[in-house]
Amino acid sequence: MIRTGITGIDEMLGSGIPKGTRVIFSLEPGVEGRLFMYRTIVSVLQEKKNILIVAPHSTKRAFLSEYAEFLNIDISKIGGEVVILDSVVRETLNTREKKVNSRKKAWKDLIQDELGKHSIDVLFVYFDLLYEDLGLERALDLLPPAEGQHNITTVVEHLNLEGDSLIARFASEKTFDLILSVHSAFTLAPFFNFFTLEYVSWARMPRRSIPYTIAGQSIRLYIPKIIVTGPASSGKSTFVSNASDSGISVDRGDLDGYRTTVAMDLGWLHFRGFDITIFGTPGQPRFDPILPQLVKNAMGIILMIDATSPDTLLRARELLALAYAAKLPLVIAVNKSDLPHQMDEVMIRETLKLRDEVPLFFISSLKRSDVHYVIESMVDRITRHPY
Amino acid sequence: MYTYKTGISLIDEVKGGIPPGSNILILAPSMSSGEQLGYALTRPLPGEYALILSTVMRSVDLMDYFSSEQFNRDLIGVIDSVTKLSTPDVNDNTQIKFVSSPSDLTGIGIKFSALIESMFNGEFPSADQALFPPPIRFYIDSLTTLLMYRKLEVLYQFLHVLTSKLKKMEAIGIYILNNESFDERTLSLMKQLMNVVIEVKTEQHGDFLRIRGVTGVSQEWVPFRIHQGTLELTA
Repeated sequence: MIRTGITGIDEMLGSGIPKGTRVIFSLEPGVEGRLFMYRTIVSVLQEKKNILIVAPHSTKRAFLSEYAEFLNIDISKIGGEVVILDSVVRETLNTREKKVNSRKKAWKDLIQDELGKHSIDVLFVYFDLLYEDLGLERALDLLPPAEGQHNITTVVEHLNLEGDSLIARFASEKTFDLILSVHSAFTLAPFFNFFTLEYVSWARMPRRSIPYTIAGQSIRLYIPKIIVTGPASSGKSTFVSNASDSGISVDRGDLDGYRTTVAMDLGWLHFRGFDITIFGTPGQPRFDPILPQLVKNAMGIILMIDATSPDTLLRARELLALAYAAKLPLVIAVNKSDLPHQMDEVMIRETLKLRDEVPLFFISSLKRSDVHYVIESMVDRITRHPY
Repeated sequence: MYTYKTGISLIDEVKGGIPPGSNILILAPSMSSGEQLGYALTRPLPGEYALILSTVMRSVDLMDYFSSEQFNRDLIGVIDSVTKLSTPDVNDNTQIKFVSSPSDLTGIGIKFSALIESMFNGEFPSADQALFPPPIRFYIDSLTTLLMYRKLEVLYQFLHVLTSKLKKMEAIGIYILNNESFDERTLSLMKQLMNVVIEVKTEQHGDFLRIRGVTGVSQEWVPFRIHQGTLELTA
């Protein structure tokens, strides 16, 4: 087993990548996705494994210099042995071998030699120029086979200029055991990057997309905005407060002496490898005009309902319309369920006309464990949502 | 809608400039002033930024050129694919990003996004007349070099992605290609991505340009010269 060294991904993969498998990181042009390969290389070397890197796009020195600049690490000094076949090797082979088949054979022989000579555990391949020089089939044939009876794990980075069709082909033909595509949601400006686990051969896993940000030298899985909304006094501020590692709330006393949110609650938490920001909306209808702005660019909505106040369900339905309008992943949290109440799941689903797949939890937002259960469900919904 | 002035009076006076999302291809033979014409078109006007992918000049030389031609170099970002070939240990800064070689399209794409993001995030000096989205002129100097490192089909696919991003950002793209070095198929494929083509030729009495693709603008050859980084039609 090798690890990518990226918190969250290794856990999703069942503690890492099994020995002898083939992995591809498929990068959309323009997206900062090199760190997936960089981190995996460092992680493997830290386990004292020997690696062969095929990097036909760069000289060995420029390649090592990029690592040093990006990760502040000299990978040749971490642990295992590092062997690099660089752009000089490519030029030599391309000059010497004029025919594509003989060029491919030369590459294959060279890679096989290096794998044996240095007892290589993991082969890392920057694929683009091999694909261009040899064609797809021949370039793929340079790699040890997927799910083969051998000990060499192969990790490939590829600039995908062909889009979803190439990914679909790799997935349908099981060319790789793990296909992870990296994208950017590029609107007017680069908004956020995300990766999609397209296919995993060794685990039953739904296709899921996960945003990430680059913090310093690591990849942090990232959810920039989850909205917590619901009728007044349903417990939104308590929920946000108990969900968060830190946060602020803008409350004022109302005429009845209760505290009410007048702008928003804001909370930050690090949860299951994700950096998450939570926005709690005001519940009073007079603040409804600002809700569309708050929901803008959100990735999911948690709708809070007060289990002890059936008369607020109509208001909850109004707010639900907001969530559906934005076509966002939705989770329902029925709060104050530790108090005497008459509402049950059937009644709530019927009144709110909820689809069956929308999860609904009876919780007390005073309990951190209940709150985190809802957040976990929300994160799961977000990562399954096709952005 | 923001309109990009080209400095070519034939275009600016008739059309008011070039609309965002446009791509301009300069077809110029070697030893002409086509490359300088590209820089003149890329020169950022007040409120604008420029981004240059250099496959010919090192960024340090490019910055010297901008100083000598009186460009506001603070508003210019550079992707340098030349310097690392001889000086592998050079490091990125806010304004200049390096890639290992012109063949490294992955690196070029990443540095492109990083520089654009810096401009949007205000990490470049803010212009006196700040606009949003910030108007950006992107110049590839040159497609000729990129085509020597990568196959035509691959480069076409890459440029196709890049031009769609420029369109979303409401930026413009400027590209230079040596039309003497490539066959008709290459020129034809590259033209497919473009809205405007400016042909350049050099004769005994100087350089001439001809504009294609802008309706209402004459397609006759017009003499021009580049003076202090700006274009002057000399007819």
